[in-house]
Amino acid sequence: MTQNLDLTDIQGNIIKAYGAFNFTKARYLFLRIDNGDKGREFVGAITTKVTSAVRWDKNSKPAVTTNIGFTFSGLQALELPTASLMGFPEAFAMGMKRRKDILGDDGPSDPIHWDKIWQESVHIWLSINGQSIEAVDERYQWILKQIDSSDGGVALLTGHRGENGEDDLPYQDASVLCDAEGKPTPKEHFGYTDGIGDPVFEGQTNIRARVLGRGKLTRSGQWEPLATGEFLLGHVDEAMDYPQTAPTPKLLAHNGTFMVYRKLHENIGSFNRFLDEQSKIFPGSKELLAAKFAGRWRDNGAPVVNAPDDASKAEWDKNYSAADFAGKKRMLIDFTYNDDIDGAKCPISAHIRRINPRGSLEYGVKDAFERPGALVDRRRILRRGLPYGKVMDATRDDGNHGIIFMALNADIKRQFEFVQQQWINYANDFKEGNDKEVLLGNHDAKNPGKVVFQVEKGSGKAPHFVNNIPRLVEMRGGDYFFIPSITALKMIAGGIVDPT
Amino acid sequence: MATKSGNATALTVLSPIKNGIVDGLSFADITRERCLRLPIHEKSPLARVPNTYLARLFVLEDVVYESLPGSDSVFNFTDITSFFSDAARKDALPRKDNLQSKYLVFSSNFYGDLDAYLTGMWEKWAYDDYGVQRDIRYIWEHCVAFDQVTECNDFIGYIKKCQLDASLFFNGSTDDSLQEQLKSLYLKQEFTRFVVAHQGKSAAEIQQDFKAFIERVQPENLNGPSWQPGQSMP
Repeated sequence: MTQNLDLTDIQGNIIKAYGAFNFTKARYLFLRIDNGDKGREFVGAITTKVTSAVRWDKNSKPAVTTNIGFTFSGLQALELPTASLMGFPEAFAMGMKRRKDILGDDGPSDPIHWDKIWQESVHIWLSINGQSIEAVDERYQWILKQIDSSDGGVALLTGHRGENGEDDLPYQDASVLCDAEGKPTPKEHFGYTDGIGDPVFEGQTNIRARVLGRGKLTRSGQWEPLATGEFLLGHVDEAMDYPQTAPTPKLLAHNGTFMVYRKLHENIGSFNRFLDEQSKIFPGSKELLAAKFAGRWRDNGAPVVNAPDDASKAEWDKNYSAADFAGKKRMLIDFTYNDDIDGAKCPISAHIRRINPRGSLEYGVKDAFERPGALVDRRRILRRGLPYGKVMDATRDDGNHGIIFMALNADIKRQFEFVQQQWINYANDFKEGNDKEVLLGNHDAKNPGKVVFQVEKGSGKAPHFVNNIPRLVEMRGGDYFFIPSITALKMIAGGIVDPT
Repeated sequence: MATKSGNATALTVLSPIKNGIVDGLSFADITRERCLRLPIHEKSPLARVPNTYLARLFVLEDVVYESLPGSDSVFNFTDITSFFSDAARKDALPRKDNLQSKYLVFSSNFYGDLDAYLTGMWEKWAYDDYGVQRDIRYIWEHCVAFDQVTECNDFIGYIKKCQLDASLFFNGSTDDSLQEQLKSLYLKQEFTRFVVAHQGKSAAEIQQDFKAFIERVQPENLNGPSWQPGQSMP
């Protein structure tokens, strides 16, 4: 029997990446709760519009979605019982700022440099995703009305940076990037194709078609969906267990999850200069070098492991254009690093290999673990979010452009923080010393990092070193949020969370 | 007993701390505070003691439970079956006992032999304690009979009396001398920098620079450029 999820109870952003459903615009709001009673009333009002994970057909797809989450201090401000609060995990309770040493948010990423809004206490995250900016704005106006009706119970926080030097905007807008003709693209500001390989877990719809390359790898080389409990609280996870730390009562956590929100500024000027300089000494095209940083080619997302040089990329492209829709999908996501353990094709420090090494942490030792990806299956995260801002001058780093990165996972410490600390900013698990992941690593200007592009053994070629890597991505603010089920939202709003 | 693994030695020392109070503080609390105040990294006194791989100091409060007594020969079934009397099942539980005093525990993995290492501790252990210079005697001062330790041989004898045998020693390091290991790490780091800086250069140029590189890093000279014990920054 496969698991049937109660989709009407789960917030829609957990199950769906709205961007994939043509919701091209988003607006994120952050609020402070000033009065418990009125704050709960506000949550109750918002809950009536919260989008569930229920399946859409042509007629039922809404023009706009709304989802809500709370920081630990937000739950405190909503006056949850102390016994319930004490059940929440330490990482969530501490919040993102206090985890900066673990996350490597240092130097230009230090919380003192974050957008002004993060310099005060954030309690509520509200997201609006729309098929048009008009739809987004309509829902935004409705929310403003609810804030107004709360009679001082909640306040909309200002302090987001904008494209024109503003530092006091009341919301963070995000949008897919459009091409010259105004057509939406899956690109981010560095030019990479984003959001291809999100994990697939039990209970999601249409699993069979989507699980290839996105679930967990079995011993026989097949793909199966990951356990629901990796992404949804109250369900069994990959260790066949329920979360070790969970709030009481069970209903408070059941069908909820935790969300990591990070506004990641992209240093476009540094990236372009770095790519130009490094490509002068790189044996291959500039696009190949860019592809080796990410593990995917920028133009169409072709995995470098299957198109490791310019010639094989041309061949890959030919096959890709000849493939049908399902075949194209498969070419993008159904691959492993089994034939590339040393990283001669896809560098070990490439972005997609670091965040999801698939079966490669067995290092070719068959049966080292129960499953090839046993060390990976507990470290997966669902990625949501969109690019924000505009690049006004591609030679400069300043401005306001990057990615609103949102990760969903049942255990922030075990999943998101582990990947960030051990796999992005460190490489012991990859036998690469302290080399950081190229794009997201917190590279230090005073002691610039390097990564190694290995070569095929016996090829007689020398490995290639990419050095002087600047900080390409900087933090501009964020926090950890609890995304409750709709049942839990009603309990919170009603003041009836009862841990006894 | 496996106190040695190749050239590495495991040392575990339990020194009883005097029961008693001075100026309203127990000797154990005074000793603990002295341990907690030890400087770290380059400034740690252990960075001066030759050949320390890894060491720690703490005060052991008590060990309440002994391990299971002999009756686990019935596979602890006594815990789950009512076939045995209540008294018999209780007998099978770990026995409770208390230590007669608190202990200063020093545990160290180091290169070489014990006498040489303890001589190094006696002679080299020194640190700045918020403006006051301290030697090794300051940490052990309130341990039972340590007042009789006045010279290096006394110290070696005292520590050996307090030494426990290691039964399962896993050396997490290679068993080369510390100097050798630090030099290796230094060379690895410097060589990586050299390789990166010379990527794509001609063989002749690389060879010429490599000679200069070797002269600078002096691979054979352990007293030449290297990392320092306890070094915390590259």
